[in-house]
Amino acid sequence: MYKDYYIFSNGKISRKENTIYFEDKEENKKPIPIEQIERLHFFGEIDLNTKFIGLISQYDIILNFYNYYGYYIGSYLPRKKNVSGLLIVKQSEGYIFHEKRLFFAKCFVESAVFHILRNLRNYKGKTDEVIKEIEEEKQNIFKAREIDELMGIEGRIRKRYYESFSLFLNNDFGFSKREKRPPTDPLNALISFGNGMMYNTVLGEIYKTQLDPTISYLHEPSSKRFSLSLDIAEIFKPLIVDPVIFYLINNRMLKEDDFDIEEGICFLNDEGKKKFIKEYQNKLETTIKHRSLNRKVSYRTLIRLECYKIIKALIEDEPYKPLKAWW
Amino acid sequence: MFVIITYDVSESRVNKVRKVLKKYLIWTQNSVFEGVITEAKLYKCLSEVNRIMDKREDSLYIYKVENPKNLSKDVLGICKNPEDMFL
Repeated sequence: MYKDYYIFSNGKISRKENTIYFEDKEENKKPIPIEQIERLHFFGEIDLNTKFIGLISQYDIILNFYNYYGYYIGSYLPRKKNVSGLLIVKQSEGYIFHEKRLFFAKCFVESAVFHILRNLRNYKGKTDEVIKEIEEEKQNIFKAREIDELMGIEGRIRKRYYESFSLFLNNDFGFSKREKRPPTDPLNALISFGNGMMYNTVLGEIYKTQLDPTISYLHEPSSKRFSLSLDIAEIFKPLIVDPVIFYLINNRMLKEDDFDIEEGICFLNDEGKKKFIKEYQNKLETTIKHRSLNRKVSYRTLIRLECYKIIKALIEDEPYKPLKAWW
Repeated sequence: MFVIITYDVSESRVNKVRKVLKKYLIWTQNSVFEGVITEAKLYKCLSEVNRIMDKREDSLYIYKVENPKNLSKDVLGICKNPEDMFL
């Protein structure tokens, strides 16, 4: 029921009549029902004030800000209400003890690779060779003794995976290899934008639990970023973002003019972003029947359930079994 | 669940009712709100409205569509408030 709202126009957002009003440059006012907001994403230039912040904090709404290129610049997070000192201690313990850390890191990679293979199997015939290679590489995950080693394996699998895109995508864009910082061709831009959205979604879900988003296992917990959301996003990138990309490209929904290229940097323009976000939201809201909960849950909820599973493992209630899409 | 709420409330209270509904649903037309909402949220919303309404004079109708897939909506003339997640 909760919805994400994406604001692309420039204007003003404010509190009025106990709900939120967005007013664009032409002074068209539009109310947004506050009880239905999950998150607000600001892509345009928006003015806001403290009264607005006060209201959305009451409802625990997260604001995400993006720059001109659609690159994530930051969030406003209301005061965290779900806190647990015990869990932070346990979370740190999981990092400090090498065995524990390695176990979690392996789980994330294992699950990511499982979903990568799942994607590739959808294009059987074209990708047999890649699948075989990745499956061989996969064996090394269980043998790894160091985190760096694991990162190396994961990196090689990802590289092979991205290279194989050209085998099954109807793309007229031309894509050879994955490039970040900055993406130089449309497919790279799409992957970067999609992964960015995923990090935010995961961060938002972590925020609903007691986990501390800065303590991570696969990625080195460093300052200035929420590395736990990078860890958990590993699982969901191939499960959610990549199929959306394949769908958009194979159905030729994205065209050349949905992208802008400026000084060698390729990025999605507003039209392109809207198309991507629409499909991405649909995907997050898709429900599947959960086996042990015995009810329907959305992909978005699956992310939160993953956080709960990590908590359970940390407090040694239940051993962690990473998500492996069974449907 | 998808709901359509229409209300007919005495002038002195009409704005109060509108304000409450606005928090939960999307304004469609004068005295009409609609939107997808959970059972619990609807209950919360209605209990808020209940406090404002005068049951002897005012009325509020709630139309529920349990499965939003069974719903089709057509508009003749202008659509006063097109719903969109992009603003």
